Amino acid sequence: MKKQIEKMVKQPMIIVFIIILIFFTPLAIYSPGENRNRGVVTAIGIDKQDQEYEISLLTFIPTANQSYKEQTSIISGKGGTLAEALYKAQINMGRKVGLAHAKTTVVSKDLLQEDVTNHIDYLSRVASLPENTVFVCSSSSAKKLLEASQGLEQKIGLKLEQLIGFNANIIYVTDTSLEAFYKGYYKRVKSSIIGYLKLKELNGDSQSGGSSKGGEKEQNTANNLIEGGSQSNDIALNDIINEGEAVLLKDGRMVDILSIDELNGINLLNKKALNQIITVNNVELDGEKFDLSYKIKDKKVLINTKFENDIPVFSAQLILGLELVEVKGNHETIVINTEFSKISKDVENALDNQIKKIFTDALKVMRENKTDVLGINEIFFNSNRNSYKKFIEKIEDVDNFIDFVNFKLSLIIQPD
Amino acid sequence: MKEQCINIRQACVLILMCIFTNKILLLPSLMFEEAKADAFFAVIVLFLLDIVVLPIFIKLKTMYPDKRLFEILSKKISPILTKFIYCVFAVYFMFKCLLVFSITYVYFKQQIYQDEIIWLILISGIPVINHAIMSGVRAFSRTIELLKWAVLIGFVSCLAFSLFTDLSMPFFFVSTSGEFFSSIFNHIFSFGDYIFLFVVIDRIEIKKGQEKQLYISSIIGMLLVGMLFFLFYAKYQVTAFMHNNALADILVFSVQFNAIGRLDIIAMLTIMFITLFQLEIYSYAFCDCVLNIFPKLNKIFSIVVFDIIFGILYYVFIGKYEILVGSSQFWSPWLGLFVNYLFPIVCLIIILLARRKKNEKTD
Repeated sequence: MKKQIEKMVKQPMIIVFIIILIFFTPLAIYSPGENRNRGVVTAIGIDKQDQEYEISLLTFIPTANQSYKEQTSIISGKGGTLAEALYKAQINMGRKVGLAHAKTTVVSKDLLQEDVTNHIDYLSRVASLPENTVFVCSSSSAKKLLEASQGLEQKIGLKLEQLIGFNANIIYVTDTSLEAFYKGYYKRVKSSIIGYLKLKELNGDSQSGGSSKGGEKEQNTANNLIEGGSQSNDIALNDIINEGEAVLLKDGRMVDILSIDELNGINLLNKKALNQIITVNNVELDGEKFDLSYKIKDKKVLINTKFENDIPVFSAQLILGLELVEVKGNHETIVINTEFSKISKDVENALDNQIKKIFTDALKVMRENKTDVLGINEIFFNSNRNSYKKFIEKIEDVDNFIDFVNFKLSLIIQPD
Repeated sequence: MKEQCINIRQACVLILMCIFTNKILLLPSLMFEEAKADAFFAVIVLFLLDIVVLPIFIKLKTMYPDKRLFEILSKKISPILTKFIYCVFAVYFMFKCLLVFSITYVYFKQQIYQDEIIWLILISGIPVINHAIMSGVRAFSRTIELLKWAVLIGFVSCLAFSLFTDLSMPFFFVSTSGEFFSSIFNHIFSFGDYIFLFVVIDRIEIKKGQEKQLYISSIIGMLLVGMLFFLFYAKYQVTAFMHNNALADILVFSVQFNAIGRLDIIAMLTIMFITLFQLEIYSYAFCDCVLNIFPKLNKIFSIVVFDIIFGILYYVFIGKYEILVGSSQFWSPWLGLFVNYLFPIVCLIIILLARRKKNEKTD
């Protein structure tokens, strides 16, 4: 035994191991738990008023309790720079700020009036704000949206990132994270889309913030009633209104708010975008007029780009599998008609016109704002590089390219 | 010296670790800044330049199977010039160590430890590295051989998981020829993966017909790194320059696997092992060079010299990470050019001269 111990002691690796143990064991025992020093931030809001930033942190503080509810609170700090504001928030929290779990980043609409990258640069580069954080714009202040979301979570367990995540999956059909924003920002035309949520105060004044495209707001209101919380007086006033809108950004600035129809138009060429509803009005079926709603169940997109007489031509063929989901009107006789699953020529023409109109409207918005969220420039660059480069030299501004593109959309509509 | 010999399998894993050196975290992002996605082709060119060195090594080994590199060079060039070459080698391997350490340190600091932890890492890391140097090339080669599959599985898993994220074809052929070649030149230092084999040439046992195994492991390593570059650029496209930890970053946004939690733990473990092995390899090479320059020095003293220089250079450079990365792009290409390409050319000349001499004798 003694010999074995002597042999072991002679092994330098064992001595190294023992030294490491001696050094680290007391450190591990005496060092306090990480959550005593660090606050876990699940969402961050950024506001700017009169050259002063306010950072609001939706913070989760792990505490022992008998319920399974997360104890969250909103802590904010103000400062001339974001670093200073974050520092003040940290002081108010009494802990270091850990942004690694910040799943949502909310910016106020006012902040998007100038290049937002100037504001978030510090957070993403220095303060370790993760790039997969969902990037959202609030019609009102970011802090108020966080407060409202806190209530939403406490009441029905719906988190802000889940709410905007639903939009991202179903309506935008694109990633709306900070990373996706940067991807758009560093592309040729520097345009991207981020989520948009409105706030409505329960006393009736909607802070719709310039968007007049929304329809029945009350139906989409996520009721927000708070029973507790540090800022309960303010929180009780706000509702989050989700109308599926998105903010269109150009050079990091907000240039427009896109409605669901415009987003659907943009997403027509996105084969992942399914389940949108297309309604055609006053279509004649079996001698009677109906409003018909179809759901896109299946989609194939074939794209071809070329230069014809030095004009860029973008041809897209959409093969759509549509399912009739609603017939508005007196349709008792039609329900039992098995022929109804077929799409008549009239209906097909109406759908063709409607879909092309949706696409044209979306294109109009992109052209007006000199944006390219469809990635038209990249498609031409990849497939017709030399002609594209010559054309850009001729028009001198890549932003104008989309104005010159001749779009040809052809549809093959099939019942699904 | 005979007990220090490594077999061909161990030489292969050493090559694999050397190929991963400084290429799997920061390099894809740095090269993208200069050559955009064409950095992928720049890496292929650098690999092709590298693999040309391998037959030179094999030929030199065949001609002088038991001789140390120092002996070969001393005999063929001159002892003073050989010492100079070894001094350059020592600087080269020391900065390889520093670059590997600093890049991984910054990665772990970003990912897990937000607070300063350098002393904890040095205290736990340096003794292990010192012990590896003391035990010799055979001991740490066997450790690497033992954990080879863990490292490879980790690496391949990172690549495989990235396939579940949004990928699109990178925009190739967008950089100018100037940008492309400057990207190649600026990052030469991160390549030169066979130089370590020259240093331990007398400690590698290569039987006849086993040479192809070196080529196979080289191609595997290069393919993995090439795939990493491609997937990284396919994933991040225009924002690739913003992501400094390629192997870990290609795992992010994997929607299908987000429920698992921190998926990047796979990348962390892989990077941790790879870094440790690379530090062992290059610190050993540094100490070997010191021992050849100062033959009377004890091995322990060479380790102490390594620790002191490493500590001082850390204090000067790694504390200021940007300085290290910035300066490495300024002067390190020249160092890389000398060691990675000029030195093998010298070896090639030695081989050709020796062959001519042999031919003359037989005639």
